[in-house]
Amino acid sequence: MATLSIRNIQKSYGALKVLHGVDVDLDDGGFLVLLGPSGCGKSTLLNIIAGLDEPSDGDIAIGERSVTALPPKDRNIAMVFQSYALYPTMSVARNIGFGLEMRGVSEEERRIEVQKAAEMLQISHLLDRLPANLSGGQRQRVAMGRAIVRSPDLFLFDEPLSNLDAKLRVEMRTEIKRLHERLGTTIVYVTHDQIEAMTLATKVAVMKGGHVQQLADPRTIYERPANMFVAGFIGSPAMNFIRGRLVSDGSGSRFESDGVMVPLGVREKASGSRECFLGIRPEEFKLVDRDDAPIKGVIDVVEPTGPDTMVTVNVGKHAIVARAEPRFQGRRGEQVRFGVDPQSINLFDADTEVRIAIDPTHQAI
Amino acid sequence: MIMFKTSRGRRLMADILTYIVLFTMTIFCLGPIVWMFLTSLKNEADIVTSQMQYIPRSITFQNYRAIWTQSNFPVLITNSFVVTAITVAICVATGTLAAYAFSRLSFRGRDRLMLSYLLVRMFPAVMVIIPLFVMMRTVGLVDSRFGLALAYTSFLLPLFVWMLKGFFDAAPKELESAARVDGSTRLGAMGRIILPLARNGLVASSVFIAIAAWNEFIFALMLTTGQGSRTWPVGLQLMVGEFQLPWGVLAAGGILSILPVVVLFAIVQRTMVQGLTAGAVKG
Repeated sequence: MATLSIRNIQKSYGALKVLHGVDVDLDDGGFLVLLGPSGCGKSTLLNIIAGLDEPSDGDIAIGERSVTALPPKDRNIAMVFQSYALYPTMSVARNIGFGLEMRGVSEEERRIEVQKAAEMLQISHLLDRLPANLSGGQRQRVAMGRAIVRSPDLFLFDEPLSNLDAKLRVEMRTEIKRLHERLGTTIVYVTHDQIEAMTLATKVAVMKGGHVQQLADPRTIYERPANMFVAGFIGSPAMNFIRGRLVSDGSGSRFESDGVMVPLGVREKASGSRECFLGIRPEEFKLVDRDDAPIKGVIDVVEPTGPDTMVTVNVGKHAIVARAEPRFQGRRGEQVRFGVDPQSINLFDADTEVRIAIDPTHQAI
Repeated sequence: MIMFKTSRGRRLMADILTYIVLFTMTIFCLGPIVWMFLTSLKNEADIVTSQMQYIPRSITFQNYRAIWTQSNFPVLITNSFVVTAITVAICVATGTLAAYAFSRLSFRGRDRLMLSYLLVRMFPAVMVIIPLFVMMRTVGLVDSRFGLALAYTSFLLPLFVWMLKGFFDAAPKELESAARVDGSTRLGAMGRIILPLARNGLVASSVFIAIAAWNEFIFALMLTTGQGSRTWPVGLQLMVGEFQLPWGVLAAGGILSILPVVVLFAIVQRTMVQGLTAGAVKG
């Protein structure tokens, strides 16, 4: 177990720069998820942490020790790959014990450690098989066994669940979380799946184009996204954006757009207005029956999903998606009115798309 | 002509044509070898006749006895073995590393170097043979088995590297990454993980090299002058004298010389076919 500190990591392939100075700190026992669309540099960053790729500049430290110049084998890390990368010519037992074998651990001790890891992952009955004779989920477990058997300082996961079917993916996600809580090892985990990021991470680094857009705990990322990219990337259905104006005058500040008038309950001395986007999560819309409701619209589509109902509503020229209760009875063409908790909304500058900080002392509407 | 009108008749006709073509090709390929085999079993009197005698009237192993005991054929075969073994050893030792480097490492000029490897193969052997002879003479490697093996390596190594690179390319890179994280060096990962995977490819490539080296004639003719290093293709050719053509003995020598190749093929056939088709199936 150890802390991880990533300092100004840059990576270029010729003229192409894929990482532009990434800084991340992770506490001992933390679970960092590198999240982003494909091509954002998250896997490159993971390979650099592993030592499989060299940074063009910057420094990586695991614990107190700088490992930038060390080969992968001397970093005391373990890695689980997307394709599992099990050695096809070796039995499951030898696959799991390979790292110990390389470190000169005696056969007897190896057998005990492999057995222990196999029991933890419930794959004891598979130890004599070859990887080719295993199902996807079993291979995944073997790959994890290979990682945990060595008790490394740092676990690295490279999209470990993306080759599994939906049901198994949820199962293994829980398994990984359980494993992390049980072993307490520091983990870096790469994924493009925001649900994995939200459920597993203690810290999420949302990446795009080789930059870290935001580094924070999952709740902050979800509730207070640093910019519109993060806001749109996290959450499904995505956050609704409504373009309008932030207006301040003597009576307070409010957001105005076609069919929308959200008082922000903030008193600002300076009067004026600026172009911006209002960002609201689908579940933050509250159906109300008041004439002065801040958001008014007409139902376009109603989609029941089981646990709740997704309602697409036309508000002015914007289409928004609201999460309503499972037995929502509205029909297409009906008028609806929504209230929102000002605490739960976000405003983004129209030009920079960066979040605008509003005074935290809001009043409920 | 009625039978061509039904589809069954047409299919039958196609089958018959196919078999005729295949049969002709088989005779064309195997004919000389069968003839050579039959000749090796004939008496001298049956070979040189006014009327062609295909099937020997009486079978004799005299020719085999003669070539094994009364000529230097055992030395020729031994030389061929040694030269082939050295060639394969050099190719496997250096070619495996080279193929791995071409497949996995990115370095400046890699693609150009790969192409220049092929360039060697583009010139006919006779073009390089004079300069090669002069070079070999300068360093004192003419008429040595090692020298001949080096000459073979010069044109077989590129082939070996290109073939093996294909097999390395087919092995997933993540396997080595996993091995390196698990505590291997790059070379260790190659030896422990990638080579066992590419084993079939390695066998197939090695057999290719071995057969080419075993049968080579022109380089051997130019670069060997004495008994000590001469290989069997050259030795057999030199048995053809001005006034004497010992057909029976030559045929026996020919049969004995292709035996090792046949045996080698029989042993590694399955591995080799697997190796050669591995890339195709993965595609």
